[in-house]
Amino acid sequence: MRFIDTRNDRWHRVEGEDGPLPHPDPQPDRLLTLEQWHAVREGWPRGLRTGVLLPNTLDVATLDDDLRGPNARLSLLALQFPKWTDGRAYSQARVARVRHGFVGELRAIGDVLVDMLPLLQRTGFDAVQLRRDQSVEAAVRALGFFPGHYQGDVQQPRPAFARDLAAEAAAQRHASELFAGQGI
Amino acid sequence: MYQYSEFDRHFVRARAAQFRDQLRRHLDGELPDDEFKALRLQNGWYVQRHAPMLRVAVPYGELSSRQLHQLARIARVFDRDYGHFTTRQNLQYNWIPLARAADVMDLLAEVDMHGIQTSGNCIRNITSDALAGIAPDEVVDPRPYCEILRQWSTLHPEFAFLPRKFKIAVTGAREDRAAIGWHDIGLQLLKNARGEVGFKVLVGGGMGRTPIIGSVIGSFVPWQQILVYIEAIVRVYNRLGRRDNLYKARIKILVKAEGQSFADAVNAEFRHILEHDRDAAAHLIPQSELDRVAAHFQLPAGLDARHAAAALRPPAEVPVAYTRWLQRNVHAHKLPAYRAVTLSLKRAGIPPGDASGDQMDRAAELATRFSHGELRVTHDQNLLLPWVHESELHALWLAAREAGFATPNIGLLTDMIACPGGDFCALANARSIPVAAAITERFEDLDRLYDIGDIDLHISGCINSCGHHHSGHIGILGVDKDGAEWYQITVAGSDGSTISGAARAGKVIGPSFAAEEVPDVIEALIETYRRERLPGELFVDTSRRLGTAAFRTAADAVRRATAGAAA
Repeated sequence: MRFIDTRNDRWHRVEGEDGPLPHPDPQPDRLLTLEQWHAVREGWPRGLRTGVLLPNTLDVATLDDDLRGPNARLSLLALQFPKWTDGRAYSQARVARVRHGFVGELRAIGDVLVDMLPLLQRTGFDAVQLRRDQSVEAAVRALGFFPGHYQGDVQQPRPAFARDLAAEAAAQRHASELFAGQGI
Repeated sequence: MYQYSEFDRHFVRARAAQFRDQLRRHLDGELPDDEFKALRLQNGWYVQRHAPMLRVAVPYGELSSRQLHQLARIARVFDRDYGHFTTRQNLQYNWIPLARAADVMDLLAEVDMHGIQTSGNCIRNITSDALAGIAPDEVVDPRPYCEILRQWSTLHPEFAFLPRKFKIAVTGAREDRAAIGWHDIGLQLLKNARGEVGFKVLVGGGMGRTPIIGSVIGSFVPWQQILVYIEAIVRVYNRLGRRDNLYKARIKILVKAEGQSFADAVNAEFRHILEHDRDAAAHLIPQSELDRVAAHFQLPAGLDARHAAAALRPPAEVPVAYTRWLQRNVHAHKLPAYRAVTLSLKRAGIPPGDASGDQMDRAAELATRFSHGELRVTHDQNLLLPWVHESELHALWLAAREAGFATPNIGLLTDMIACPGGDFCALANARSIPVAAAITERFEDLDRLYDIGDIDLHISGCINSCGHHHSGHIGILGVDKDGAEWYQITVAGSDGSTISGAARAGKVIGPSFAAEEVPDVIEALIETYRRERLPGELFVDTSRRLGTAAFRTAADAVRRATAGAAA
């Protein structure tokens, strides 16, 4: 999981004083609103690194052609949590990964709290922009509590019943013995 | 019973450790109240009127003696020595200080228990028929499927923050004893003409402000596909359910508003998952997994299938109390030499569903001695021993009587359902416990109770309907008007059981009553029934035949404080 520091973020929105500019110029590393993307998509050069911000009220299928596979037109999909208890983007993320085959960056933005991290990771997010007051240290810790889960997810597609749990447990014991005494 | 694997144990301990970290951050001021709230709720911690309430999950109602002893210990050491069994087969504590919450979670984890998803806007504890696996009318034992669903729904990463809470109930019998029509998803196991197992799937049932009975969305979903089908339903709900209004956020509102287009969206999503999703096949349940889980639900070792000669010849002088207990508290079993026995938690002076630490220990001992160490929590807030040999019934009766569990009132008026109400619950508009107590006192006479016969009396302290007032043959709902407690009364509701008929909400019989009027009103309704009933008619039948008018007139006649309002 990558933690985005907005000061060093390569991605930039294209906004004027009155909000998003309706017809942005083609430049790399632009994070466009869906409206902007729809407005420029036709003439937008292929191969230009481009991101889109999708509201959580819309179906990911809206972007299907732009997401699919390694040659997708979009390399960043930013999904929104207007409130951290609004869980719609988890479904969007999972569907983007397992149905639309999106392999680019899937970023969580908005009201993103450390305790959401396990859910974000398991539904396919690989980058988060934490809310300003959140601690990266606590977020990393939040990812470490569970050795495994019951149901399959984006990270581990096989449910517990399809895995060799005894072997997983043995591997974990082995790993913890390996690191024991190394100050890690 | 399902036995935890090393993975399951590890998982519950990890959850306890995660909660301890969250609690520490909260107590250190790192995690503010409103953010900690959603996290503690998903571990079963509410903040109540006096102290936090902890709701412990009892998955599909199955409990071992060992677990119940531990629950007793927690009640004694951390609470004020009692707990409350709920209609959704859980156990609630009322007095545990939040600072000790993590210690309690550790103690629960010691006996493979937890409070995961017993609250919050997520998939709640799966409930089932208290007679699952032992009912004579069972088509398919639902417990292995319940366990698979429990595992699937536990910390599902996509469905932890739904628009609202989400409840699933499963039955495998002909009679619906799990009120599946009243759930967000109701599942009924069936066999088709070829003997294959599948689910009838109902969706969009629920109580609350807008009582709705679930509608059938799938008439036969093969068992292998059930997780995918439910995933499709919950995903459509997560996507489209309303989040702008708490009172319109349940799936029932979406199902009602969208009608067929909701069903179409679910079926399209289901096909999408199966046909397009990378990991679809992984979520089909393989036969090997069903077999592995089902192996936990074999008959207990050491059952004796032989009839006991002595049991067939009753002693010359049988006390009436014993006969009554056999009649009301003892139920038929799929094994002819066995019975299921209800330990009544409905007795004068004690709130319905409550048990002290000592009583929990006594119930656990009875289970060890008479029921292979297993108990069930029933939908109507009693405990049940599922494996009692007929030759032991008399000994069990003596022991249950001594422990205070032998009130022969199962299914009768005093076997009422009641939520904790305003005495404990911060949501409640009115108290439930004193109303339940007053009615219990009024109907103490057993001859009269038996004459009234089978009847479901359900009491909720507010419209959230934890006491299932909508489904009661008589329902009592606490309402708040100008800061005072009032009670709205309904008749002819049904939970979907055989005697109650198809699930339906009761009908209101007029303006609310004052608390002190309620026992008189109930008595007036009962007397109307006794006067008007045809031979063999139960209260619920008579109330449907007559309609509300006769009951309304009888109830109005006993108004005192509210006499002006009703005129």
